[in-house]
Amino acid sequence: MRNIFLIARREYLERVRTKSFLIMTILIPLMMAGFLLGPSLLMNPMSHGAKHLVIVASHPQTAETIRQELTKAQGEQNKQIADSKKNTLKRTAETPSELTVDVDTNTSADERAALSQKVRNKQLDGVIWATDEALAAEKIPFITRDTSSFIQNATIGLGVDRALHREALKAKGLSDQEIDSVLKRLDVDPQDPAGTGSGNPQITFVVSFIMVMILYMSVLLYGINVMRAILDEKTSRIMEVMLSVSRPNEMMAGKILGVGAVGLTQIAIWIGTAVVMMGGNLVASGEQLKGVITWQMLLAFAVYYLLGFALYSTVYAAIGAMVNSEQEAQQLQFLAVLPLAASLGIMFNVIQFPNSTIAVWASIFPFTSPLIMFSRIAVQIPSLWQIGLSLAVMIATIVGMVLLCGRIYRVGILMYGKKPTLPEIIKWLRYA
Amino acid sequence: MYTIELNSVRKTYDQFVAVDNLSFSIEQGAVFGLLGPNGAGKTSTIRMMIGITAPDSGEIRMFDQPFHRPQLQRVGYLPEERGLYKKMKVHEQLVFIGELHGMNATSARQKATEWCQKLEIADKLQNKVEELSKGMQQKIQFIAALLHDPDFIIMDEPFFGLDPVNASLLKDVMLELKKQGKTILFSTHRMDTVEKLCDSICVINKGAPVLQGELKQIKARYGKSNIQIQYDGNGAFLEHNPLVGAYNNYGNYVEVRLAPGADSQQLLKMVAERSRVNRFELMEPSLEEIFIEVVGKTDA
Repeated sequence: MRNIFLIARREYLERVRTKSFLIMTILIPLMMAGFLLGPSLLMNPMSHGAKHLVIVASHPQTAETIRQELTKAQGEQNKQIADSKKNTLKRTAETPSELTVDVDTNTSADERAALSQKVRNKQLDGVIWATDEALAAEKIPFITRDTSSFIQNATIGLGVDRALHREALKAKGLSDQEIDSVLKRLDVDPQDPAGTGSGNPQITFVVSFIMVMILYMSVLLYGINVMRAILDEKTSRIMEVMLSVSRPNEMMAGKILGVGAVGLTQIAIWIGTAVVMMGGNLVASGEQLKGVITWQMLLAFAVYYLLGFALYSTVYAAIGAMVNSEQEAQQLQFLAVLPLAASLGIMFNVIQFPNSTIAVWASIFPFTSPLIMFSRIAVQIPSLWQIGLSLAVMIATIVGMVLLCGRIYRVGILMYGKKPTLPEIIKWLRYA
Repeated sequence: MYTIELNSVRKTYDQFVAVDNLSFSIEQGAVFGLLGPNGAGKTSTIRMMIGITAPDSGEIRMFDQPFHRPQLQRVGYLPEERGLYKKMKVHEQLVFIGELHGMNATSARQKATEWCQKLEIADKLQNKVEELSKGMQQKIQFIAALLHDPDFIIMDEPFFGLDPVNASLLKDVMLELKKQGKTILFSTHRMDTVEKLCDSICVINKGAPVLQGELKQIKARYGKSNIQIQYDGNGAFLEHNPLVGAYNNYGNYVEVRLAPGADSQQLLKMVAERSRVNRFELMEPSLEEIFIEVVGKTDA
């Protein structure tokens, strides 16, 4: 036990004192922020400053209604953005944008060609071709350079759709007021059977996503660190000295604990800094976070981080013991990353449908359960037997992996020079 | 009292027999040489002694007891594959290894400083290992093996890669340890050092012992059948000579081993007739010769 402690302490101190620890501690939150804000910056509909659209219709009235709907939609969006500026959780870089919409009643093919040319030359951002023929065909061409930006195009589609409904209802003789009440949008508020509200599903999603990403990155990062630590020991040939004073299992345990403690330190620094920096804001956003970040969630995070790290670090320890250089490790690392990446792949599905068959099984399968079971707990606490089963399976797997990888480790650490083949590794497992 | 005893120890890796039916024992306070060509099984033997691997069969006893790991705190091991944590400072590293050997931090710190002073590297205590020269790293490795004042010291090729000044410094330390009653095991294929330091030896080849015993007795057994001759003139008389069992021409002189039953005086007469003799000396065979002979025999 003393040896495990000594080895873990050395590993911990050596790592915490390095520059790379400092850099990673600063860089990872920045990367996370970039990861979360980046896409919303890029995908934000109609938020790139001023937009200039032209609506071409056979009747000026039709064009005018479309124009009003689009302007109204933009106004609502700008208001939302202004609201979210006050909201500490969804602080985006969106800026309100100006929308200029011109109306054109010249429906000739020449005009269409001329307008298309303007769009191509970036004098215009888009042309909505709502002529009678298009209306009759139930397909309205929208000429734009960004044909693939589906969110923007869907927003415009919705605006045009509403405008045409409005036109049709007006033709039936309804007043503007009546039309407004008919077209009013309703929200559906999901509630669980216990009768409590779901909180804010968007925030739940963002929070669980952030935490799953932290879980994913730390497990991966520190697993790789365990592998590096062992490789380092192999390449520096200190292994033999170490082996003359400690057992291989003690060395492996010491390394895993030491590196794991570094990971916990780093996460503690992040959380500590976040609390200090958010300070007052945390109280403001407390209302929103209520019911989203629960003690169960934090407990689950700690438990699944520790178990996930223990599981993956034994795998990485074995990989480190098997190979002689990082290049050789690359191929084998793939095996370890695969289940983690697969977990991320199905995570969106799991958050949407936390009780689907795939979610249940992936949360019990030990190599995916750290991420999947945690995200299920974050969204909606699954039945206790499932949590219990996932913990039991994972602990059993960790014990098995420690024994198995301990054997690979014991033989592998003294093998220099040659990369072992699979049959050789199987043979190692049989050595007494 | 024996520091270590090996009884019919055998170790195989797959089909390959690394150590086969090896037995020897080292008395407390003795300096023992484990000799053999590269790949003979020296390192495999040592790894079994310090519990890195376990023998397939046979028994290892240490300090008159069956081998158990806590005994290793009384053993100092300098492996052939030298290695230190490159990024760690010298002092911290020595303290860490000392603590692993069961020392407390305070005495480890103190001993590390003392040893570094003794080996003339006290000014490097706060340097990182990677900043030091190869020779200095060797010294630190040496200290790491001796810091906890072990009773049994195992050194695998200890003088490999050392310059003469440092080699002699280390040799003095070894002699001092011998005086203190420590048991020392050298594993090497360099015979000159063994000859100077060892009381007894065991030569192994292909995993099996081919020669063992006290160095003096072994040499006596081979008798004074060796002659060094320094002469001017033609050396052709050495060829097809019934008196000459084997010879080795070193350029400046020739070392001749007499054929069984041959008389050295006859050879002297013969050489004197054919050339001008500057030196004609009867001597014990060098360990290297014995080594080459026994290993050559087992290889043949």
